[in-house]
Amino acid sequence: MLNPRSRAIRFIELLLLTSAVVLFIVGAILGDTFFLRLATEALIFGGLAMSVDLLLGIVGLLSLGQALYFGFGAYLSAVVLKEISPSFLLAIGIVALASLVLGWVASFIALRSKGVYFALITFGLAQVAAKVVYNTRSLGASDGMMGVPILQIWTPFGSLDAGQPGTFFVITFLTIGGLYALLKYFLTTPMGSLWHAIRSNEDRLPYIGYKSKGPKQVAFVLAAVVASVSGALYPMLRGFVSPELMFFSVSGNAVVTVVLGGVGTLIGPILGSVLLTSFKSIIGTWTVHHHIVIGIIFVVIVVSAPKGLAGLLVRRFSKIRSPEGGE
Amino acid sequence: MKKQFQTKKIAIAVALSLGASFVSAQPSPIKIGVVTPLSGTYTPIGEQVKMGLDLAAKEINAAGGIGGRKIDLIYEDEEANPAVATQKAEKLFQVEKVDFLTGTVNSGSTLAVGQLAERNNKLIATTVSFADSITADKCSPNVFRVNARAGMQSAALAAWVDKEIPKANIFFIGPDYEMGRSTVSAFKKASTEKGAKDVGEVFAPLDNKDYSPYFGQVRAAKPNVIYTSVAGNDTVRLFSQMDEYGVNKGVTIVGASGTVTSQNMGAIGKSANGFVTGVGYSPKLDNPANKKFVADFQKAYSKLPDLYGADSYGLLYFYKAAVEKAKSTETDKVRAAMNDLSWQTPQGMKKMRAGDHQAMQDMFAVRVENGEFNIVGKVPSDLAIGPDTCTRF
Amino acid sequence: MLESLQYIYAPQIINGLSIGVAVILMALGLTIIFGLLDVINMSHGEFYAAGAFFSVTLVAMGVSFWVCLLLVPLLLVPIGFAMERLLIQKVFHYKDRHILTLLLTFGIAMVLEDSYKIIWGANPIKPSAPISGASEILGVMFPNYRLFLMGFGALLILSVWVLIYKTQLGAIVRAAAYDKDMSSSLGIPVMRVYALTFAFGVALAGLAGVLLAPIYSVFPTMGRDFILMAFSVVIVGGLGSIKGAVIAGILLTQLQSISSLYISPVWSDPLVFAVMVLVLMFKPTGLYGSMKNA
Repeated sequence: MLNPRSRAIRFIELLLLTSAVVLFIVGAILGDTFFLRLATEALIFGGLAMSVDLLLGIVGLLSLGQALYFGFGAYLSAVVLKEISPSFLLAIGIVALASLVLGWVASFIALRSKGVYFALITFGLAQVAAKVVYNTRSLGASDGMMGVPILQIWTPFGSLDAGQPGTFFVITFLTIGGLYALLKYFLTTPMGSLWHAIRSNEDRLPYIGYKSKGPKQVAFVLAAVVASVSGALYPMLRGFVSPELMFFSVSGNAVVTVVLGGVGTLIGPILGSVLLTSFKSIIGTWTVHHHIVIGIIFVVIVVSAPKGLAGLLVRRFSKIRSPEGGE
Repeated sequence: MKKQFQTKKIAIAVALSLGASFVSAQPSPIKIGVVTPLSGTYTPIGEQVKMGLDLAAKEINAAGGIGGRKIDLIYEDEEANPAVATQKAEKLFQVEKVDFLTGTVNSGSTLAVGQLAERNNKLIATTVSFADSITADKCSPNVFRVNARAGMQSAALAAWVDKEIPKANIFFIGPDYEMGRSTVSAFKKASTEKGAKDVGEVFAPLDNKDYSPYFGQVRAAKPNVIYTSVAGNDTVRLFSQMDEYGVNKGVTIVGASGTVTSQNMGAIGKSANGFVTGVGYSPKLDNPANKKFVADFQKAYSKLPDLYGADSYGLLYFYKAAVEKAKSTETDKVRAAMNDLSWQTPQGMKKMRAGDHQAMQDMFAVRVENGEFNIVGKVPSDLAIGPDTCTRF
Repeated sequence: MLESLQYIYAPQIINGLSIGVAVILMALGLTIIFGLLDVINMSHGEFYAAGAFFSVTLVAMGVSFWVCLLLVPLLLVPIGFAMERLLIQKVFHYKDRHILTLLLTFGIAMVLEDSYKIIWGANPIKPSAPISGASEILGVMFPNYRLFLMGFGALLILSVWVLIYKTQLGAIVRAAAYDKDMSSSLGIPVMRVYALTFAFGVALAGLAGVLLAPIYSVFPTMGRDFILMAFSVVIVGGLGSIKGAVIAGILLTQLQSISSLYISPVWSDPLVFAVMVLVLMFKPTGLYGSMKNA
């Protein structure tokens, strides 16, 4: 019998998996485009949220500038697809490698600090990068870059057309799912335990013989890669990139979805992203004051349920168990 | 007993079928999607777009609609973000199945939505974006522009400056992003070709609060004309600070069309007096169509229309003329009808150039005096338009 | 050489000072809340905006600008007090309270910004400066209102410092921040002191809003204007240090002002940010920060 937390996580995983399958089937039957693409977008931003959660919920570092890596992955992917070759694997591969290097370099600046300072440094880094991209003509400046071709993705079973909403939805689901599995695997290794230890009490770590710098760096680089690969999927979906992908609102939204879904669960943020994306789409049609509505909901959650939806589930599962007696 | 029930059933059936036939007799409305910023910094522009479109839709529907079909405007907030704009535009194309789409304000959004329109085989038009690229190097067969572009605005202004202050010394101040820079370079080219001199430039960040650090440079260059492409709140700050520091003494201030509009005019106050710009519209245009338009607009909204409101209003009449000429709302037929189409607007007759989908119109040099946009110069449409550099179609 | 000093550098320095006063006023409230309450107030900019909007409305109703200077901050005190008491204190006891208060105030900022748009509309409003005209200093013209701002701002900063370090009230606040339980056992109503301190900090921001409205104009997104600069000043100066905020404020704004002569203005924000990062890397507590806030 799993503990309430693992049960909650398993529950959300199953929920997302079944809804994805249902959406795919219904969408394919009805020939839908919009909802499948909206769900794909939600998953892409969910990947970004996952990277924020890795740093925040697992290691204990709040990054207010993950959009930097997201945008980096998006732009690099767009450039590769347009200028080198419209190949899915090539784009993802190049982005993964480049973001590894970028994350490693950035870690030297950002990891000199922790807590609030870390948050502000990551915020500032993203602002500066966004400004540079906004003003760079060769990257399309404030207009961004259009004209990313629709991919034909090679598989051993034949070529898949990424322009088909259902097809690309599945591909994105598998990619983000793959990233999730990767992170979960890391959590089972000694590195994962070190991360949890850092979050609980970093100062104690040297007393048991470990340095905190190495694991923190690994987590930081990993988060950069996850965010970048998620970003690389964006131009494949929408056919363009623009500097707005690096703005603070993207980082801010990611944090909102992490809190909404449940900090530290990795899957919670993806759920949060799905909910927020659908929510914004619906609310946005009713009223132009959607910022207030989202802001109020967010404040309510932070004050009354800071562990997010996953936290609520954990509470519920704990209650179900308690008639069995103490643990 | 039975007879009563029979009669009742028959009565209901008759009523229902009458109702059904009545409903089905109404032709389906023409749906037009509007993706425009309704929150964020560009809200004032989005509001003018909405007001112009709503007014035109109301008038057209009251007169029977387009070919008997009423116009149904569906609004979505794009937050001036191309990523949001494409998402909302896709919703309008796929879920609402709109026949036509408009409303985008910044050029990034127009380009991104234009690309989406191509993939959905639908047409869009912009009534605000004035980046030359939209109907030049980045033109698209599915994108039309009814408002004047930057090159046209510069032509009108440069002509006026050359006439009033020949061989002027011009200093350029702009916001540092694509639009700010390209507007400055367009005017620089137009004016230096006529003999004016470039004595310096400063590009401040967008949303810059304080321009006083740059006034030293401006003073040192000793210009008699200052050209600026700031907009919105930046204009309020630049103009009032120039006034406070006396930088505007003895200098004629000119600028882009978006620099002083009815939205920031109130805040700028008397610092705006004497400002001249090249623009495609002024509420003071003296023709019957405009007088009626301004009066109706004020009655409906208690506000004066600006160029965004006027061009958006004109757009629906453009679409109406095209659909009526094509006798259909099918994309290819409407596109063909739009090419070289002339139609009546508050600015007079406009013609849609087929080669690049850019509307041609007379351009005006307009001076701001005490809250009014007075017309001080005019350049006819064929001289203002500039060459057709679109090669895609 | 002397001429360039007079006509090029002197104006930049004096201008930098007038901007510096504005930034320091914003940073003061932020560093007090940050340093004494351990709360990261992402909504600080929105209180700056609130002050500006309130003053615009009051002036339109006929209230004189000088009365607004006193009235508007007083109006913001109960709002700040309520926000701290009802919302912030709810998340205070969690272990991740830094992050939670940051998120909470971030959400509140979202709500506030949109509310301004709903109440006052999206178009900018510019109140006229209460002091008009310009004076010549060293051969260059400066608006009188800005000169007033520098003087009044300096006075304000001095008063705040005196209040916090030289009065009993200030001692109570510092004690409550330093050791909550000890102060409480000495009879200090700690929760109320926290709420009042927060209210004071945001009232300062609101006062800055009133003072700067005639120069920078008023519009719903104005809260974002100063926030990055204010946070940079607070960090470089050291959390909770008023002296640090003042010195860092002057240093950073002078850096911006003078550097604009040599590099494109677009790079002045990144430059300030780079300085902030460097300071953090080599002296993480800032110039005058205390260990407790590392």
